[in-house]
Amino acid sequence: MDEEQLDLSGEEEEITADVVLKTIQTSWQNERLSPEILPHRNDMVECMLGQIQHMERNINKLPKTDLRTSIHKMELSRIKYIICNYLKTRLEKIEQNCIIIINDEKQRIESGTNYLTPLEYRYAQEHLLNIEHHLKQTILNQVPGNMQVFEINKMSTVPNLQSHVFLKANETVHGIVLEDHFGDQDEEIDLEEGSQHILQYKFIADLVKNGKVQLI
Amino acid sequence: MFGEKVIELLKESERNRETLDQYNDEKIRQIIEEMHVLFKLNMNDANATTENKSLWTTVQVRHSALERNKRCLLAYLYNRMNKIKILRWEFGSVLPPDIRELLSDAEYDWFSKYSTNLATYMRSLGQDIGYNGIDLTENLRPPKSLNIEVLCLVDYGKLELEDGDVIMLKKNSTHFLPTSECQTLIRQGILKQIT
Amino acid sequence: MDPYEIEFIGENRIVSIIPNFSYDKIYLICGEFGPFRAGLPMNVPLWLAVMLKQKQKCRIVAPDWMEVDNLENIKEEEKRSRFFTKMPNEHYMVEAKLILGAASEDIPNASEIKTIIKDIWDIRMSKLRTSMDALMKSGGSYGRLDHLTMMEINSVKPLLPAAMDELLRIQMMSKKTTPATLNSSTFSQSGTSQNT
Repeated sequence: MDEEQLDLSGEEEEITADVVLKTIQTSWQNERLSPEILPHRNDMVECMLGQIQHMERNINKLPKTDLRTSIHKMELSRIKYIICNYLKTRLEKIEQNCIIIINDEKQRIESGTNYLTPLEYRYAQEHLLNIEHHLKQTILNQVPGNMQVFEINKMSTVPNLQSHVFLKANETVHGIVLEDHFGDQDEEIDLEEGSQHILQYKFIADLVKNGKVQLI
Repeated sequence: MFGEKVIELLKESERNRETLDQYNDEKIRQIIEEMHVLFKLNMNDANATTENKSLWTTVQVRHSALERNKRCLLAYLYNRMNKIKILRWEFGSVLPPDIRELLSDAEYDWFSKYSTNLATYMRSLGQDIGYNGIDLTENLRPPKSLNIEVLCLVDYGKLELEDGDVIMLKKNSTHFLPTSECQTLIRQGILKQIT
Repeated sequence: MDPYEIEFIGENRIVSIIPNFSYDKIYLICGEFGPFRAGLPMNVPLWLAVMLKQKQKCRIVAPDWMEVDNLENIKEEEKRSRFFTKMPNEHYMVEAKLILGAASEDIPNASEIKTIIKDIWDIRMSKLRTSMDALMKSGGSYGRLDHLTMMEINSVKPLLPAAMDELLRIQMMSKKTTPATLNSSTFSQSGTSQNT
C-alpha cells in the first residue's frame, strides 16, 4: 500500500493521489452549486477510480479484522460518495436541460472544448430521443394536423445563469464588472484572495471554470 | 369553456407534487377530443375569414385554445416523466406492482427506456481502466460508519454479503450490516436503520 | 447542499488524537498518517478521529481554539463588532459538533464550551439576518460575506439567493413593461420556459 505516486497517462508530470482527490472534491462542490453544467474532469475521475481499484485489491490481502481494513474501507466509501454524487449531479443537469446542452455541446465538440464526456453525450442524446418518442406516442400523434409538431425550442429549458451564488476567491481577481441589466449603473469590484461574495453566477462563470474562484 | 379540462388535469398533478397519481387516461382522451373539435371548426371557418372579418377573432381564440391544450398536455406528461425518473433511482429497474399500475403502458415503456439508458451509462463508467461500471444509485448519502444496525421489516430470505457470508433476513430480526450493502434494501422498505 | 454534506466536507479537517495502540504509518489516498504510538499525539482527519474514538482506540485532543477563555473572547469580539469576525476554524461548528458529540469526556469543560459555541453561532446568525434584511432593502444584487463559514452560508440557502433572484426578476419585469395594447400577437403563447 505504498503507491503514493501515480502516473496520469499522457502527462509527463506526476501527480499525487491526494491532489487528484482534492481536485475532484473541488469539482464536485462547484458542480453541485453552479446552475450550468461545468467542463468534465474525467481524467481525474478515472485516475481516482484506478487508485480505488488498486487500494481495494490491497485491502483484500489484509486480514478482515485488521484495523487498517476498516480505515481504508471508510476512506474509499467517502471517495466513492463524492464520485457518485458528482456524476449523478451532472446527469441530473443533463436530463433537465438536455436540449440546450446537446446544442451547445455540438459546437463545443467542433472547437474541441467539450464539457461532456463521450458517455455523457451519448446519454444526453438517447435521453432526448426517449422524451421525444414518449411525447409523440402519447400526445403528438393523437392531436389534429399541424398541432403534431414536436416544437423543440418550446420544450427547451435553460439554466438560470443570473441566479445568485456564493463564492470564495482562490486568488485575487481585479475588475469584475457587475453589469447592470439596463446598462446604466455598472459596478466594478475586486475579489481579493480569500474574500467571499454573493453575486450573479454569469459574472464569474469563467472564474469558476478556470479555478480562480470556488463556489461555496 | 375551452381549455378547462386541461387545467383540471394540471391542478390534479400539482396537488401531489411529490407522489405520482394514476395516469388520467380518460381526461386526456377528452382533451384531445376537444382539440379535434376546435380544429375542425377552425378549418371550416378559416376559408370564410376573407369575406367575414369578424370570424378572424374567433379563429384566433380557438387557435390559442388549441396551443394551450397542447402545451398543458405536454407539461402534464413531462412532469410525470420527471417523477417516473425518480422511481428508477429509488426502486431500481423493477417497479413494485402497485406503482407499476399508476403508469400508462407508454409511460412504462418510457421508464424502461430511461432505465436502460441509465444502466448503459453506469455500466460503461470506468471501462477503459478495467471497471465493470459503477452503480450511481448506491452511495446516496455521505458515509458515516461502515456498519449500521438494521431491523428487518419483512420475511425476505437469504442475503449474500460481498464477503461471502450469508445471512437470513426474517421479519423483526436485527442485524449489524455493512452500510453500503443495505442501502437498496432500506429504500425498498425491507430493512429499517435503527442506529 | 444539505447540512450533512457540509459536515462531510468539514470531516476532512485535520485534528489531533492520542492513540492507545501502536501501528505503522498508514497510507491513505488523502495522505499518509502515523506512525501510531500509544500515548503520543498525532494528526489525522476528523472522520478518522471519530471512527477511532468510536472503536475506543484513541482520545481526541481538544483543538487549540476549543477552550473556554479563548471562546469567551471570540464571543465578546463578535458582540462588539458590526462585521463578522474571523472564526478560528472554517468548520468550527462541524468540528465542535462531532468532537463534542463523540468525545465530550476528552474535552475539558465540554458542556460550557458547547454553550459558548452555541451563543457565538446565535449572535452570528442574528447578525446574518440583519445583514440580509439590509441587503434586500438596498435592492441588493451583490453582497460581500467575508468570514462566514460554509455551514453559516448554507443556513441562508435557499432563502437569500432565491430572494435576490426574485428581486432581479421583478426589476427586469418592471423596466420591461410597456403599456399593454391588445392585439392579435397577445394571443400567441410564448413558449420559452425557464427553470430556476
